[in-house]
Amino acid sequence: MTTRAEFMARIRAELGKTRGLPPATPARRPARPRVEAEAIRAELAERWPEALERFRHELEKVGGVFYRVATLAEVVPVVAGIARERAARRLVSWHAAELGGDLGPALTAQGLEPVAMPPGEVASAAERQRLRELVAAAELGLTGVDLAIAETGTLVLSSGAGRPRSTSLLPPYHIALFDRTALVESLAQAGVFLELWHADGAPGPRGAVISFITGPSRTADIELTLTRGVHGPKEVHAIFVEAPIRG
Amino acid sequence: MSQADLSIPFRRRAGRAMEDAFLQEALTIATTKFIGLRREAFDAFPEGEGLRDRAREIKEATLQHLDRYLEQLIGNVERFGGRVHFATTAAEARAVILEIGRRAGARMAVKSKSMATEEIHLNEALEEAGIVPVETDLGEYIIQLAHERPSHIIAPAIHKTKGQIADLFGKELKRTVPADPEALTQLARGELREKFLQADLGITGANFAVADTGTVVLVTNEGNGRMVTSLPRVHVAVMGVEKVVPSMSDLMVFLAILAKSATGQKLSVYTTLVQGPRRAGELEGPEEFHLVLLDNGRVDQLAGPLREALYCLRCGACLNVCPVYRQIGGHAYGHTYPGPIGILLTAMLNGPASVKELAHASSLCGACADACPVRIDIPRMLIELRRQVDEKRIAPWIERVVFESFGWLLARPLLYGLAGRIARVLQRPFVRDGAIRSLPLFGDWTRTRDLPAVASRTFRERWNELERETPR
Repeated sequence: MTTRAEFMARIRAELGKTRGLPPATPARRPARPRVEAEAIRAELAERWPEALERFRHELEKVGGVFYRVATLAEVVPVVAGIARERAARRLVSWHAAELGGDLGPALTAQGLEPVAMPPGEVASAAERQRLRELVAAAELGLTGVDLAIAETGTLVLSSGAGRPRSTSLLPPYHIALFDRTALVESLAQAGVFLELWHADGAPGPRGAVISFITGPSRTADIELTLTRGVHGPKEVHAIFVEAPIRG
Repeated sequence: MSQADLSIPFRRRAGRAMEDAFLQEALTIATTKFIGLRREAFDAFPEGEGLRDRAREIKEATLQHLDRYLEQLIGNVERFGGRVHFATTAAEARAVILEIGRRAGARMAVKSKSMATEEIHLNEALEEAGIVPVETDLGEYIIQLAHERPSHIIAPAIHKTKGQIADLFGKELKRTVPADPEALTQLARGELREKFLQADLGITGANFAVADTGTVVLVTNEGNGRMVTSLPRVHVAVMGVEKVVPSMSDLMVFLAILAKSATGQKLSVYTTLVQGPRRAGELEGPEEFHLVLLDNGRVDQLAGPLREALYCLRCGACLNVCPVYRQIGGHAYGHTYPGPIGILLTAMLNGPASVKELAHASSLCGACADACPVRIDIPRMLIELRRQVDEKRIAPWIERVVFESFGWLLARPLLYGLAGRIARVLQRPFVRDGAIRSLPLFGDWTRTRDLPAVASRTFRERWNELERETPR
C-alpha cells in the first residue's frame, strides 16, 4: 500500500518538473470574516425586504412554497394547514431550543402528533434506533434554518445536537422556519458566513454536516421527465417569521 | 446498444449507435435540452463569464501548490476524526475500500453517484468480496439493474426508455410495473429507502474537498448523497487528488457555475458539506469517515501534456455540445468517461495507446472548450494526443503512410501542383455533382462523407491569373 509519504513525494516530484505556468491565485478570502459578516448583516437590516422578495421568487421557481407570518405562534396554523391538506399527522422537529420555541403543545392541540428531537447526546443505541424509526415514519419534518440565500432560493441547515440531519431528509414534507437574521443575498455572502463558521480552524458551526437545500428532491433520470421526491422530501415549505426567532 | 465491447473497433461501435433509432432520438432530445438549459442559465447570470475565468484560475492555482493543499486537507480530515488513505492505482483503491468494508463487517454498501468509483470498477470488486453494492442515484440504479455503465456523466440512463426501465424494475420486484416515470420513481424510492436504512457502508465520490476545513462536498439533486453520508455506520469518500480547493470562498465560485453548466439549475438541490464522522451530540451520522485520495494516472499529468484536463468538474457540458457525442452517445466510447473530456481522461487513466482511435473521434470544432465552465482547451490536447499516437507508431500504418506522403508533397510546390493536375484527370470517373461520392480503397471515408473534388482551376492557378489581370 502506498504511504502518505510516498504519495506526497511523487506529487512533489511531478510538481518540480513544471515550468512556465501562468500566474494564478485562489479566491479572495475575507481577512476578517466576523467584520465582513457583521457588515452584511448591517446592510441587510436595511435591505432585507428586497432580499426576502428575491428569496421567495427563487424558492418558488425551484418548486418550494413560501409563507410569511408575524410571530412564531402564527406558524402553528400554517403547519396544521399543510398537514391537513395532505392527511398527515406525524411530525418530527428539531429540539425547541434549536427551533426558537416549543410549538409541541400548540401543534398537538391542532390534532398533530409532534415529536421533538432530544437536545443532546443519546447514549443508548436502542434509543437512537427508536428515534431513527420515528423520523423515518414521520410525514412532516420541522426545522430551523441557518442561512436563506436569496440568489438561489436556498436553505442552509447545519446539523448538530437537537437538529438531526434526518428531520429535513426522511419525511416527505419539509417545513423550515426562518427570520430575517438568516437572510443573505448571494452565494458569495453565504461564503463569508462559511468562512466565519470555520475561522481559525474551528470545527463547523455545530455538527459535522452543512446542507444546502434548494427546493424539493428531484430527478429527471427517466426520459428527462421531472419527478419530485425521489429520495429527499417531495415538498419544501419555507415559513418566514417577521419577529426574530433566534438570538 | 448495451455494453461497449472494446474488441470491436470504435468505428463499428459508433456505427451501431448510429443505427439505433431510439438512441438517436434520446440523444438529440437530451443533449438539445441540456444545451438550452445551460444557455438560459448563463444568459440570466451576467457575472458568470467572469466567474468562469476565476474558477479556471483557482484550479490552476490549486494544482501549482497541490502538495500544500493536500497536506492541509489530510491534516484537517484527521483533526476531525476522519482517516485518509492513499491509492496510486485503481487496484489499490479497491483494496483499501474492501478492507474498510471487511473491518466494518459490511454486507451491503449504498452508493451515491460517483464517477471515481466507476473509474476504479468498484462494484465488481465489492460483489466478489460479498458486499452487495447498491447504486442509489435513480439513473445509476437503473443501469445497475441493466448491468450497464453510465452513458452520460450526469444523466447515466438517458439511453433507456421508460418501457425498458419498467421491464427492469418488474424483473427486480417480480411483478408488473407501469411504464410511468412518476410511478417508477416512487417504486425506486421505496426500494432504496429500505436499503439506506439497512446498509452498513456508504460510499460516495466528492465534487470538491476544502483544504482549509477538511470538508468533503457532494452535489446531488435527489438527496441520496445526504442519505449515504448520514445513515450508514461507515462513510467512505473516494476522490481524485485534483478535486481539492483551498477554501470555502473558492468553493462558492465553483458552486455558482457547476449546476448551471450541468443542468441549468442555479444550484443543484442538495450541496452537502461533510466534515468528518458524527460529532458529539449528533443523533446520526457515521461513526467512521474515510477519505481515499486517488492518483490513478492524475499525478503523472501534473507536469504532463494533459495537465489542463485536471481542471475538469465533471459537469457534462462538453458532451452535450459535441457533434460526435450527440451522434454516438456514451457507450460507443467504450470507457468510463465519454465525450471530448472523456477521451482525455481515458488517456490519462490508461495511457495514450488506449485512445488511438478515440483521439480522432472529434471534429476539433471547439464547441467543448466554449461550453466548459473552466474553459479547458480540449481540442489542443486532442491534437497533442494525435501527435503522441502518431509518434509512438500506434496509428494504423496506412494512415501514417498517407499523411507522411501528403506532408512530403505539401513541402514541394512544383510536385504539389503537378499532383493536383494529375488528380483532376484521375478523379473524373468518380465525380458526381462536384464531389467524390465513393472512392475505391477509401470506402470507409466516402461511405459517410463526400470528398470535395479537386477544382477545375486551383486557387494557385486563379491567383496567377488575377495577378496578371490586375493593373498595378
